[in-house]
Amino acid sequence: MPAYLASLNPGWLLIVAGVIALFVKVRVVRQAISIIAPVIGILMLATAQHGVDHMTYETLGIKLSFYRVDSLNFLFGLAFLIAALLNAIYALHTDNKTQDGMALAYAGSAIAATFAGDLMTLFIFWEITAITSVFMVLQAGTRASYFASMRYLGIQILSGVLLLDGIAYVWHYQGDLSLQAFSDLNQPGALIIFIAFGIKAAFPFLHNWLQDAYPKATVTGAVVLSAFTTKLAVYAFARLFPGQHELIWIGAVMTCFPVFFAVIENDLRKVLAYSTNNQVGFMICAIGVGTPLALNGAVAHAFADILFKGLLFMSMGAVLYRTGTTKANELGGLYRSMPWTTLFCLVGAISISAMPLFSAFVTKSMILSSVASTGMVVVWLMLMFASAGVLEHSGIKIPYFAFFGHDSGKRVKEAPFNMLLAMGMAAFLCIAIGLPAFLPGFGYEWLYSLLPYPIEAASYQPFTLGHILAQLQLLALAVFAFVLLQRLGLYPPEKPGVILDTDWLYRKAGYGTARWIDTVWAKLGPAMTATFRTLSERAYDRLVDTFSPRGVLARNGVSGGMAVWTTVILGVVLLVSYLTS
Amino acid sequence: MTDETPTVRDSSGRFVKQAAETVNAMSRTNDEGIHPMAKVLFGWTEAKGIGATLFWVMAGLSLVLVLADLVIHRHEEIHFASSIGFYGLWGFLSFSFVVLMGWPLGRLLRRDEDYYGDAGGPPADIDPDLDGAPLASHGKHEGDH
Repeated sequence: MPAYLASLNPGWLLIVAGVIALFVKVRVVRQAISIIAPVIGILMLATAQHGVDHMTYETLGIKLSFYRVDSLNFLFGLAFLIAALLNAIYALHTDNKTQDGMALAYAGSAIAATFAGDLMTLFIFWEITAITSVFMVLQAGTRASYFASMRYLGIQILSGVLLLDGIAYVWHYQGDLSLQAFSDLNQPGALIIFIAFGIKAAFPFLHNWLQDAYPKATVTGAVVLSAFTTKLAVYAFARLFPGQHELIWIGAVMTCFPVFFAVIENDLRKVLAYSTNNQVGFMICAIGVGTPLALNGAVAHAFADILFKGLLFMSMGAVLYRTGTTKANELGGLYRSMPWTTLFCLVGAISISAMPLFSAFVTKSMILSSVASTGMVVVWLMLMFASAGVLEHSGIKIPYFAFFGHDSGKRVKEAPFNMLLAMGMAAFLCIAIGLPAFLPGFGYEWLYSLLPYPIEAASYQPFTLGHILAQLQLLALAVFAFVLLQRLGLYPPEKPGVILDTDWLYRKAGYGTARWIDTVWAKLGPAMTATFRTLSERAYDRLVDTFSPRGVLARNGVSGGMAVWTTVILGVVLLVSYLTS
Repeated sequence: MTDETPTVRDSSGRFVKQAAETVNAMSRTNDEGIHPMAKVLFGWTEAKGIGATLFWVMAGLSLVLVLADLVIHRHEEIHFASSIGFYGLWGFLSFSFVVLMGWPLGRLLRRDEDYYGDAGGPPADIDPDLDGAPLASHGKHEGDH
């Protein structure tokens, strides 16, 4: 690898490749670009020297550092590059210049933001992720997706604006934009940046852009979206707010509340959007704990999540592609037509449920152990509750209602080969990083060796009898609860409908208020104009009556009323200036 | 052996053409829309009384795992977690609670699909061979005046 390539941010390569792809009409060439760029990117990242500012530039007295790899951002960048490659393979059956190019540029900007060495660079690429990603929703081409994408863009841009605002405070008070962790939310700008990150990480009450936009995206677009934005925010928190205790509770709430929505939600891609909330919650909670074990857990879980969540979105994308719907009440029995998709979906479902030998088991157990060692019993119980909840919505509901359960009678073709290939690769990785290290350095040990604190990671043993037994017990009895409730007829049936969430506040109440104000203004505006005109006409008439050549004051000549009034006014002015001096 | 059988064999001694045909057959959906791999991978889910079997298998497995606590000592940071069957109980209760909460929450929060205006059809990039492929619907939408 030439030296100049080893010091170039792979995100930039992907952005440039994406912009080129936008204009390449020949489908094969464009797809070759989409696949080759992430592969070269992975090679570039593998050869990059750690802990060095590779690309620096100084402007307006601000030192920008465009490429800095270290043990914290390495795995995020690697996961983003792998996701970009899998997404490109998954999209091979399509022929859409805008989507191919923007997907690549979106991945590139997330990678470039991950490897940013200062706040301003982070902000620039933070914004580019917002602008490029909106096309994943827009390309769906329905009116509903258009409106959802505009809401999405508004909220993403708000996050960017808040970030810039916070950066301005930091610059003003510290004069230094390097990526130093905040020790306290009371530091200038810290709280604003915290909220900016919180929007992208989909904190409770700030989360609805995710459930609103992702399920309305295109088949491939939802897969692309699932990988980058929220995990970039997780990275940003790990970088700037490690050990910030507020995050523990925020994360714990994030793991629990989506579980309830996911049970009653009918659209399976929306269930996965809630599942994203839930998984990001585990990472946020671990970042709040902030110990080496916890941060290792957060980074490892983010890596695993990008793979298994991508895999689940891919499998639901395949179902959507072949059947035209992901509504649970319209699906069922698809394993007959799509057995490979079913198999890969099950791998994703088992992985996210943290079954031993699958990826989330080796990553989430670090988070659970670190929370347990803080002695915060309630938080730990919340995370355990959410673990059973994950099994419910992502482990059982998704595969059961799509592929098994009541037979919908839909007989379709198996997913296109490229989709199966991408799913197969993701499934392979989900298993590969979850396996015990039969050979030193393989299985989970490979992942652990790349974590921010490799020494602490090496001393952590996920495959102890105690861990395995505890996790198996939790999963087995939760599955038992499922079969029991099914047999008793107590499992709520899937019904079509929308589920109200906090987006009601702006989509119904806020929008309604805006419409009401609009209506009122439409009526009030002319009335006010008319009143103002009447008043001003009357005033004008009075003035004319008084001061015009034929007015009251002019009647007795200039020496009369006019002189008196001028004297009075002069007197008042003198008096005022005397009193105020 | 008929005349049609090819004489070329691969390294494991199988007839190449036959193997290729098998692979081909395993990747073709039949006329009833059923993929041949479905039988291989998930045929067991169609067995008679599979619901009852699964129920008893899970019940047995759960019991074994809980009883395993008597033999295997778990080292726990949180003291009550080391009591017998704690994880199983917590998993069972959490799962049941979440699912049962689905009934009241569904009644409370579920609205018509066009509550926010036209819910929109499938995205533009679904299978073009699909019947009733995406039709841009132009109903009442929250953005319409």
